Amino acid sequence: MVIHVQQAFRAVILAAFALFLLRLHGNGEITKYINPEYILLSKTAAYLFLFLLLVQLFRIAGKKPKSAHTCSHTCGCDHDHAGQPGKKVLSYSILVFPLLTGFFLPPQTLGASMAAKKGMVFTAQTADSSTQETDSALYDHAGIAASRKEMKQSEFERHMSRLEQDSLIHMENEVFEPYYREISTEPQNYAGRTVRMSGFVYKEDGFRPDQLALTRFLITHCVADAGSIGFLTEFDEAALVEQDMWLEIEGTIELTQYDGTEMPLLKVTSWEVIEEPDDPYVYPVYVKLL
Amino acid sequence: MNHSIRAHLLNITWLLFILAIFYFLFLKDLSGIRDPVSLLPPSFLQLNTVFLSILIEAVPFVLAGVLIAGCIQIFVTEEHVEKWMPKNRFAAVLVSCVAGACFPACECGIVPIVRRLVAKGVPIYAGVGFLLTGPLINPIVIFSTYMAFGHDAKMAGLRMGAGFIAALAVALLTSLFFKRSQLKEEASHPPLSAANGKAPFWTRVRDMLTHSIDEFFDMGKYLILGAFFAAFVQTYVAAQSLLQIGEGWASSTLVMMALAYVLSLCSEADAFIGASFRHLFPASSILAFLIYGPMIDLKNTMMLLSVFRLRFVVILIFLITITVFACAGVLAWL
Repeated sequence: MVIHVQQAFRAVILAAFALFLLRLHGNGEITKYINPEYILLSKTAAYLFLFLLLVQLFRIAGKKPKSAHTCSHTCGCDHDHAGQPGKKVLSYSILVFPLLTGFFLPPQTLGASMAAKKGMVFTAQTADSSTQETDSALYDHAGIAASRKEMKQSEFERHMSRLEQDSLIHMENEVFEPYYREISTEPQNYAGRTVRMSGFVYKEDGFRPDQLALTRFLITHCVADAGSIGFLTEFDEAALVEQDMWLEIEGTIELTQYDGTEMPLLKVTSWEVIEEPDDPYVYPVYVKLL
Repeated sequence: MNHSIRAHLLNITWLLFILAIFYFLFLKDLSGIRDPVSLLPPSFLQLNTVFLSILIEAVPFVLAGVLIAGCIQIFVTEEHVEKWMPKNRFAAVLVSCVAGACFPACECGIVPIVRRLVAKGVPIYAGVGFLLTGPLINPIVIFSTYMAFGHDAKMAGLRMGAGFIAALAVALLTSLFFKRSQLKEEASHPPLSAANGKAPFWTRVRDMLTHSIDEFFDMGKYLILGAFFAAFVQTYVAAQSLLQIGEGWASSTLVMMALAYVLSLCSEADAFIGASFRHLFPASSILAFLIYGPMIDLKNTMMLLSVFRLRFVVILIFLITITVFACAGVLAWL
C-alpha cells in the first residue's frame, strides 16, 4: 500500500479547478469573463471536474508505485513516469498558475486601454464603418440579452417598435446592441431624437477636447472576443472627465461627418458620473424565431 | 542523494500549493489579501482576465475532447481502424476530411482526439485532415458565419468550400512528407484489444476516465500556455499597428492570417471579429482569416506541440499557411 503523491496532487488540481469555476458561478463573477449564455456549459465543466476528481481519488492509493493496471501502464501515463522531476515541477507550475491568479486576483473589467488596443471605436473612417457593419451583422446573431434568456420574436419587435416611437430612446443593457446597430447604420432616421445611455469614457488622439466616445464592450463568447461599440459624444465639460469613468448621459442625436462617413453624434443635454455597473458588458441579442 | 533532494523539493512545492488553496479558502478574510493586488500594474490584471476568460471558455470543450479521446482509447481498437480506413491515400484523406466535417469539435477539443486516433493506427495525413476540418466545418460555425456576414450565405459557403479544399490539399501534402505517426513518444502500443476485450465493461469505463484525466493533464498545460500568450498579445499589441501594414492584397491577407493566428479565437466566435474587418480588407483576405484561424492558431500550436514532434508541427503550419494563402489568392482572382 503506497500513496502516489503525483496522483494525489492531480486530484488536488482537479478539485481546485472545480472549486475555481464553482466559486465564480457562486459569486457571479463569471459574467466578468464569459457571456452568460455559456454559464450552463461552464457549470457542466465544473461538475465534470468533480466527477473526474472522484475517479482520480481511487488512483491515489495503490499497491506498488508502478502497479497500474495493464492499460494505464502501457499507454496512459507512461510519459509521466519517464519525466524528470524538474520538468514535472515546470508542468505542474503551469497548471497551478491560472488557479493562483484566478483565486487571488480580481477580474478586471475591460476599459479604455483595451479599447485602444482593439482599436475599433472611431479610430479611422474604415474602422468606424466596419464597427457599424459588425453590429448590423450581430443584429440577429446567436447570443443573448443581458436578461440572460433568449428574446422571443414578439418581445424583440416590441423593443424595436419602442425604439421607433418612444420620445426618449433608453439604451438599456438588453437592447443596447440592437438599438446601437439601428442608430449607427441609419443615423438620419434618428436625428433629433433623445437618447439616454451609460458607458465608459474612451478618448483618443484626434478627439476634440469637448468630445469623447461613450463606449460599451460587446461580448460574443468571452472577454477575449470583446469588441467596443459606442457613440461619439460632445459636451463642453468633456475635457473634465477622465478615461474609464462611467457616465450616464442624455443627449440629442445629430449627424456628423467623420472622415467622409455619416455617423451619429450625441449632443449631451445632461450627464452624471456613475459607479461602474455590475453588468458592464452588453451581449448580442439572439432572437428566438420559434 | 541529489534525487532525493529533488523529490523533497517536489513535495514541498505541492504542500505549499495545497496550503495556498486552503489559506485562500478559509483564511482569506482575516488578512488584507487585496493589498498585494494593488501593486500589480492594471494591465496585468487585464491580461489575467482575458487569459482566464479564454481558459474558462475553452475548458468545457477540452473536457469533452479528452473524454472522447478516452473513449477512443478504450473502445476503438487497431482492428477497427484497419477495417474502416481506406488503404488508398487519397481515399483515406477524403474520408478523414468528411469525417472531420461531420464531427462537431472545436480546435482545443480536437487535438487529444487526433492524438488517440493516430496512436490507434490512423495514418498521420488522415489525422491531419480530421484535425483541420473538425473545427472549421460544423453547424455552429456555419450558422455563426452566416449571421456575422449579415445573412449572407456566400461567405459561409465559401468558408466551408474553400476550407474543405484547403484541408484536403494540406492533408495530401502532409502525406508526401510524412509516413510515420509523428507522435512525440513513439511508445510501442501493444495491441490492447485482446486484454481489453475481456475486461468487464465497468473496468473499461474506469480506464476510459483515467485516460481522460491523464489526457487533460497532458493538454492542460499547453492550453494554459497558449491562452496566456494569446491574452498577452491582445493586451499589449495594438491590432491597429497590425492593420496599418495591410495595404495590397497579399499583405492584407497575410495580416489577417497573422491576426487569426495570434488572437486564437474559437472558430465559433471568430466570424464576428472577421466581419468587422470587411471594409478594411478584401473579402478574400477575410476568408483567409476565417479559414486559417480554425486550422491553426497560437493556442492550438502549443497543444499540437504537446502531442507531435516539433519538426512535424513546423512543417504542418508552413503547409497550412501556404495552402490557405494560395486558396485566398485563387478566390481573389475569380
